[in-house]
Amino acid sequence: MLVAAAVLWELLVRAEVAELQFLPAPSEILLAARSAVTEGELLGRVIHTVGVTLLGWSVASAVGFGLGLILGLSNTAYRFSMTSFEVTRAIPPITFVPAALLIFGFSLRMELVLVIFGGVWPVLVNTIGGVHAIPSELRDVGAMLRLGRLATVRKIVLPAALPSVVVGLRLALSLCLVLAIVAEIVGNPAGIGDGLIRARQALQPALMFVYVIVAGLLGVVLNAIFRTVVRALVPGGDTPDGRSW
Amino acid sequence: MSFECRSVRADVGAVGANRTVLDDVSLDVASGEFVSIMGRSGVGKTTLLRVLAGLQEPSAGSTVRFEGRPVDGPPDGVSLVFQDYTSALLPWRTVAANVELPLEGHLSKPERSERVAATLEMVGLADRANDRPPQLSGGMQQRVQLARALASRPAALLMDEPFGALDALTKSDLEDELLALVAETSTTVVFVTHDIDEAVYLSDRVVVLGGEPAGIAADVVVDCPRPRTQIRTRESAEFLAARSRVHEVIFGTR
Amino acid sequence: MHRSGRPTGDSTRGRRFEVLTGLVPLVVLVIVWEIIGSPDSPFYPAPSSWWPALFTRGQGEDIIPAIIDTTRTFSLGLVIATIVGVTIGIAVGVSARTDRAFGPMFEFARALPPAAMVPVATLLLGFDEPMKIVVVVLAAVWPIMLNTRTGIRSIDPVRLDMARSLRLSRRRTIGSVLLPAVMPAVLLGVRVATPVALVITLLVEYLTGVNGVGALVGDAQRTFQPARVYALIVIAGLISLVVNSLVRSAEERVRRRHGVERE
Ligand SMILES: Nc1ncnc2c1ncn2[C@@H]1O[C@H](COP(=O)(O)OP(=O)(O)OP(=O)(O)O)[C@@H](O)[C@H]1O
Ligand SMILES: [Mg+2]
Repeated sequence: MLVAAAVLWELLVRAEVAELQFLPAPSEILLAARSAVTEGELLGRVIHTVGVTLLGWSVASAVGFGLGLILGLSNTAYRFSMTSFEVTRAIPPITFVPAALLIFGFSLRMELVLVIFGGVWPVLVNTIGGVHAIPSELRDVGAMLRLGRLATVRKIVLPAALPSVVVGLRLALSLCLVLAIVAEIVGNPAGIGDGLIRARQALQPALMFVYVIVAGLLGVVLNAIFRTVVRALVPGGDTPDGRSW
Repeated sequence: MSFECRSVRADVGAVGANRTVLDDVSLDVASGEFVSIMGRSGVGKTTLLRVLAGLQEPSAGSTVRFEGRPVDGPPDGVSLVFQDYTSALLPWRTVAANVELPLEGHLSKPERSERVAATLEMVGLADRANDRPPQLSGGMQQRVQLARALASRPAALLMDEPFGALDALTKSDLEDELLALVAETSTTVVFVTHDIDEAVYLSDRVVVLGGEPAGIAADVVVDCPRPRTQIRTRESAEFLAARSRVHEVIFGTR
Repeated sequence: MHRSGRPTGDSTRGRRFEVLTGLVPLVVLVIVWEIIGSPDSPFYPAPSSWWPALFTRGQGEDIIPAIIDTTRTFSLGLVIATIVGVTIGIAVGVSARTDRAFGPMFEFARALPPAAMVPVATLLLGFDEPMKIVVVVLAAVWPIMLNTRTGIRSIDPVRLDMARSLRLSRRRTIGSVLLPAVMPAVLLGVRVATPVALVITLLVEYLTGVNGVGALVGDAQRTFQPARVYALIVIAGLISLVVNSLVRSAEERVRRRHGVERE
């Protein structure tokens, strides 16, 4: 079916039935991909984007998890800050781009800040959710076993909240990748997003498609690696599918 | 004759991984008769009921007729009451709208309202017409299902462990209501249950399925006179005889 | 016998209190910012200067039309995405054959990040309103489609048997049983798709400068008006809060009607 669709697409473009002036045929996309790979440009851009994604994701995960744990465990902390987080989270991250551009300029810092800012939320929300969803029976078990507060957290709260945290981490990973690409599209002149914009300025739609497809593949690959690692570390810790933009 | 089954065979499961559950089942149910189907869990009672309801196609060579016409798809005049009332009722519709569902597109609006009101009256739920099923107790929800099944004035009712999830008191109330309703409308009933006392109390005949694949292991006639009452009938010699006969067959087929 | 579990007056008050106390850090932040920041800071202009910045240099007239533009693009895109997503979701949900035929194509298409498609779409489709909507639909349709498909597949088979045994017509089965049963899943999809649609709307506007709040933010940034940028961020945040809570309350209502509230 996929092949059939590609062939149909190719035929439509060749026959100039498709009205879109710049729509490249699949064959042109393949050619563009080959030259991008052989010239080494693609690899450099991929490395940049993946590097920023992973760096930003690590920071976002640490921050989101730490904050989430505090907010999940302490009712006071939750009561006296949750609305603030909800409100901040509601602001579409894309609108922070201009502010980040004003403050940090067209730079790697801007890209990282955006990636971290966006990536924190899924981890934070899922950590809080995971801690809150622990059945009270399980907490009672902790009390009955006379575990201290720290031991309860370590032996009961963390393992019970883990699946939800893992979902948050995975959502954050896809989100960080997209945000890195967005930041590159609008500001930081490096990586896949920048390649996309340059290809656009050079009116090379085929090359643009290459970058879009590579971005999609990166998302799929990062996701798969994450799942594999999780499965290796936490037996049975595989998670349901989530979505990000 | 209401239902006629001749050497019915039925398979379940996906194509290629299927299993024969019923083999050579021949069963007649007369009009107005009340027949219970029993047998150990997993023997194929639900499968037999689904075949009668036209929800499952029996294997080639089987004959299933309802009122003389071969069954291919749910036949007109047959209503099914499911064991799982939470899935069988639509929680987003009110009780009245649930009962109305099978009438939509067949009767005019005023006729439908009238029929729904009358049917809810029959099952004693007239005052809950505007509630939604999740707001009702289990027994009430099962009454709603019964009302929905009766609303289309069926000639035959198929019931799959309809009272299985209810407490003993609610259950005996509903048993008596069911007997009164089907006597009044002279409806044929095929009733699946796990409860020997219930089967004997309600039925004219108790059919026991057994074996693998299952066939008919016994067909016990219950000679108690009608109308039946919980206390007097259950004490009668006929009741006790039928009960111990069914008991023997079921434990004998294990 | 009502089991709707409506919160008592006390706990409502408690929750409202919680919502207010939760705002404390944000309020503190704004106050500190106000004290430290000056109106002319190139990076962190004081919050009091944000609102006036919306109206300086005769730019005040742009705000309302921009909000209307963004809201229109966003909601039109979301509505179209819902119609398309539900239709496809039902089609692939009820038929394993359709699913096998189109599955790989959908997997491929949904793996492409919509944000990265925006520059491509501007090249292929030009800089106009239909282009914006097409991109928003492309981004928002997947969560709705996938949730609808899952919703259809997880409908209790007893419910389908019920529809068959009542001899409901095909149309009635879809209208009275399938669609209502799948509503919570659809709305979950819409809830996931809502922020996506909004972000993509703003991104397209920002990149192309074609109308809307996104275009205004981009303009304010390029002409170096930080206070105006912050003011527009607040406006975008408010739009997002409003649409998210609208969708959430719709979802809540449907869930309650479906009796999901029962413990
Ligand atoms: N969809 C299915 N796929 C595979 N096997 C099935 C399916 N439905 C039923 N079976 C099998 O067919 C056999 C008969 O099932 P059926 O539901 O008719 O039993 P039953 O007598 O109604 O049992 P119970 O008293 O527990 O309701 C069982 O062994 C069951 O495992
Ligand atoms: Mg059964």
